[in-house]
Amino acid sequence: MTRYFTLSLKTALTRPELIFWAIIFVEFWVLMWAYVFGVYIPAHEEAVKDYVSTAYGGLTILSLSATATTIAYALIHSSKSIKFVTKYTRLSPSRFMVENAVSSITVLLIVSAIMFASMIIVFWHRFGLLVLPHNPPGLFAATLLSAVFLYAFSSFLSLLIVVLRAPRSASFIAFVPLMLGFLAYASPWIDFRIIAYISPFNCISSLFYHYYSGKQPVTGGIFMPGDKELMDTMLTASSLTTWTITLLILDIILLRRMRGVGIEEIRIV
Amino acid sequence: MIEVVDLEVSYGRSRKPVLRNVNAVFDRKSLVLGPNGSGKTTLFRALCGLTSIRRGRILIDGLDVERIYAKTGLIMVNFPEVLSLLPVKIHDLISLYADLTGGDKAFAYRVLADLGVGEEILRSRRLHELSAGQLKAVCTAIALSAHAKHVLLDEPFEQLDPARKSRLIRYLADYDGIIILNTHETWLVRSLEDWRAFFMFEGVLYGPVLVKELLEARFSLREEANPIMRMMISGRAVSLVKDGGRMPLLSLESLDRVYELALEGERGDEILHAQP
Repeated sequence: MTRYFTLSLKTALTRPELIFWAIIFVEFWVLMWAYVFGVYIPAHEEAVKDYVSTAYGGLTILSLSATATTIAYALIHSSKSIKFVTKYTRLSPSRFMVENAVSSITVLLIVSAIMFASMIIVFWHRFGLLVLPHNPPGLFAATLLSAVFLYAFSSFLSLLIVVLRAPRSASFIAFVPLMLGFLAYASPWIDFRIIAYISPFNCISSLFYHYYSGKQPVTGGIFMPGDKELMDTMLTASSLTTWTITLLILDIILLRRMRGVGIEEIRIV
Repeated sequence: MIEVVDLEVSYGRSRKPVLRNVNAVFDRKSLVLGPNGSGKTTLFRALCGLTSIRRGRILIDGLDVERIYAKTGLIMVNFPEVLSLLPVKIHDLISLYADLTGGDKAFAYRVLADLGVGEEILRSRRLHELSAGQLKAVCTAIALSAHAKHVLLDEPFEQLDPARKSRLIRYLADYDGIIILNTHETWLVRSLEDWRAFFMFEGVLYGPVLVKELLEARFSLREEANPIMRMMISGRAVSLVKDGGRMPLLSLESLDRVYELALEGERGDEILHAQP
């Protein structure tokens, strides 16, 4: 690894936007779920576990989506520099992708670990029960896959803006991961049906719920009355994996084609 | 060596080219002299492959610039946007680019000390937190410390005081490689006599000539016989000549003045030819 990897990791973890949107902002919603929305949850283990699993699925996707937004922003702002270093330094396009991906994915994993720890502590304080994941290795695998997907997606959006020379859209496009994260966050109240398989963000929250609770997730609307359609976990994981691989391939292609945009061309909305 | 063949560059969907019919070979230390807005920076961006080429091609040591990847030590440039890979402190930035290019950190610090940018600033500030002069100094120091075969320096003397300018010139003169330096200031001509010079006006590159030929050169706003160089500026023929009662090149502190004189038309001609 070059020095780019260590400095990229250090920079990302100390970025104020990430600390606020991915941790502090979501922490507010953790407290809301625990102390406001959770007042009607009966204090027995099955109900609490189900509630905490649902919370974990929804809130972690928010946190990771916010992290993905900061990754997208960072790539757009350094696009001209990325173009130059991949041509004239030992950081080739593929090496840059690897180092950028590893450092970004590490950040995503660290953020999810922070949210995981905080949710366990907060919900333990609220309900007096230590609710641990039913399948920790599965949860870790789902988290890792989700981190890779979110990196690939945020990179794709950034590189697309640069290649299409649409820097004025940067502010809006960089927030797309967070917008889609909020859509997935709404799944306890909305039944997304087939879209729950197609939307990778919904797939992520479903997989988190599954590995945390040990139960099969539903396509949505778990807090609403009526029948719920159970989701096939393998199909959910396959959908997310397909999205991830496709986006990573597109990222490499776009990285070679882009020329970068100047910071002065990016309109801050 | 950098070869430019029939280059045309325009921005976005604009039909009007910013650079047109540019043909040049940069195989030794060279100046590109031209007023602000003449296309010098765009030329440098094109030479690095940072801007789309509408027509023509650029070869760096025989390699098409569009197909170059991970070629360490081939080219380096002092554009701030190229050195903004990460928003880190300058100290870390120098270390980062030294690692990526195989450059010499100590050399960068030496140059910066000579250009008046102290350790305190390097450890506490990021690129966007520097003044214009400090930014230029840092970017130039990092570019030179990469010890690349070709170094493109975009107005490296801007915002530097005379003492620091002369220190920087020493580094440029001693550099073992091809430096292509663009500026609108003419005083450099006296200090880099053994270099070659090109002129850039309105997106067209003229030259080369030896810099030493420019020491006594004078501008004339008319077509002259046997000029050193003949150019078109704002639709007027402008010549650089050795002999005659015209405006010395070196008395125009900045080449922006040539545009003003050309636009004044006949009035400018009178001013020019009225000068002793």
